[in-house]
Amino acid sequence: MNIVTRIWGTLISRPPFYVMAIFLLFMLLVPFLTDDLYLIGVLVLANVYAIFASSWDILSGYSGKENFGHTLFIGAGAYGAAYLNLYLGVPPMLNLLLCGLIGAVFGVLIGIPCLPLVGPYLALATMAAASIAERLTMILSKYTGGEEGLYGLDPITDGPVGDYYLSLILVIITTIILMAIGYSKQGLILRSIKEDETASEAAGINTTRYKLVAFAISAFFAGMGGAFYAHYQMYTGPSSLSIIMAVTIIIVCMIGGMGTIVGPVLAAYMLTVSNEFLRSIGDLRLLVYTGLLVVIVLFLPRGVFTVILERLPRFGQKSRGV
Amino acid sequence: MTKDGLEIRAVTKTFEGLTALSDVTFSLEDGKIMGIIGPNGAGKTTLFNVISGFLRADQGQMVYHGKDISSLKPHQVVDLGMARTFQIVRPFKSMSVFENTIVAALSPRSRRSRPKGVKSDETAMNVLGRVALDHKRDEPVSNLPMGDLRRLEIARALATYPQFILLDEPFSGLSLKEMDALAGLIRNLLDEKCTILIIEHKLKILMSLAPRILVLDYGKVLADGTPAEIADNESVIRAYLGRRGHAGVDTTN
Repeated sequence: MNIVTRIWGTLISRPPFYVMAIFLLFMLLVPFLTDDLYLIGVLVLANVYAIFASSWDILSGYSGKENFGHTLFIGAGAYGAAYLNLYLGVPPMLNLLLCGLIGAVFGVLIGIPCLPLVGPYLALATMAAASIAERLTMILSKYTGGEEGLYGLDPITDGPVGDYYLSLILVIITTIILMAIGYSKQGLILRSIKEDETASEAAGINTTRYKLVAFAISAFFAGMGGAFYAHYQMYTGPSSLSIIMAVTIIIVCMIGGMGTIVGPVLAAYMLTVSNEFLRSIGDLRLLVYTGLLVVIVLFLPRGVFTVILERLPRFGQKSRGV
Repeated sequence: MTKDGLEIRAVTKTFEGLTALSDVTFSLEDGKIMGIIGPNGAGKTTLFNVISGFLRADQGQMVYHGKDISSLKPHQVVDLGMARTFQIVRPFKSMSVFENTIVAALSPRSRRSRPKGVKSDETAMNVLGRVALDHKRDEPVSNLPMGDLRRLEIARALATYPQFILLDEPFSGLSLKEMDALAGLIRNLLDEKCTILIIEHKLKILMSLAPRILVLDYGKVLADGTPAEIADNESVIRAYLGRRGHAGVDTTN
């Protein structure tokens, strides 16, 4: 298989890939180490956030086009899964793929009008798009269930451990593909767009096309994650489109280190789990949690894991290029 | 009308009432080099931005090899074989010298133009060799001095296999030795039938390279001729060199 060897060839010399591989292999063992279903549930949520954050990162972390409405693609996947499952009886597994495609379609539809926008205008436009979608779920409550959302989706596996493994496998697939893209020549072009889009155009690159493809890929995995989440909860509602979630995803990526894929994934676990454990201190939780975020942003503005990842030596000097 | 070279016809560009280019007309044959001079704000860089697709002209027409390029996007202009460098260098700061160059080697024009079997890595190394930056391939560009950054700009342009290069003050910030090396590179490009349009304030070196000079002032073409003609042109002396300024211009070498 040509594509598999190519992906492997791209990843094999990259230390961050090994960091990711070791971490995810360890995560495969978690159900053998604990039978605490509450913890497993928290980790399923972390898996879902890892998918959301890494898919945000391939567009925004790499190309610098900060998308403040990633939840639009997540919501498209979640509501798409609900309709396809409830009305057409599409099985959950197939929905993961179909809703990824629905997300990608939304990515292109949003990408085309938004891409000429720069800086805060892009952020505002994408945020507005997600807000409009959230609002529409209320206005069209006859079809969307309004605030109540849509209930009764088929469960995707037969239990919490099954959900955990499926979501972890989705994380593994997502991160392998996104890291391979990130380290590929296409990833390098996305980084050049982030650094200086004008110079990238002057180098003969059709930057619009690359950004649009990045939008579609990012939205695909967001839609897939949204579909999983909907089936996992057997429910979807307007919260899947909320701006708070969109901003949380951006915070996860900032803390982890934008444009690294590994960083946002590790940060998704770190923040989800610490957020849960801080519940034990009651009302102080939010204070400690946000205080922690402020400290990290102040002292490690490029992300907690970036500092570590950049110090890892590269294997094999031969393929030092790209 | 010839199908060769570049033809600029009556190009006008205004910014909110300020005329940056006014009725600029000239043509340049393939394989030739022309210098552009003019006081600051004369519209030289605006002219480059209009030709390379970064700005849209209000009026006028630009034809390259018989094709109207007036409404093309920058990457489409590169695709036709016209590459440019920037007066203020624009490296991809977080990337290495090699990575900077390979972005251009990944452009459709570069992929199409290089010999079969040659990879983008090889194209990038090749052009880095031409500008004598190959020994710094893995250095982050944030470490590079100005001379290297200027050469990196040119390497990135060369990696797109251009037939026409627009150089915007390539000699500024270079040491004497670096200037000699760059002049040598420009002569090599001319030997390879590359067409060159070059903005430069360093008149001595410009006049040694370009047998033809275009003078812009307030967006208008003030003069178009050989260095000797330019240096003797009354209005040029007044507008650009100052009343007695031409005494300082050495056109002999």
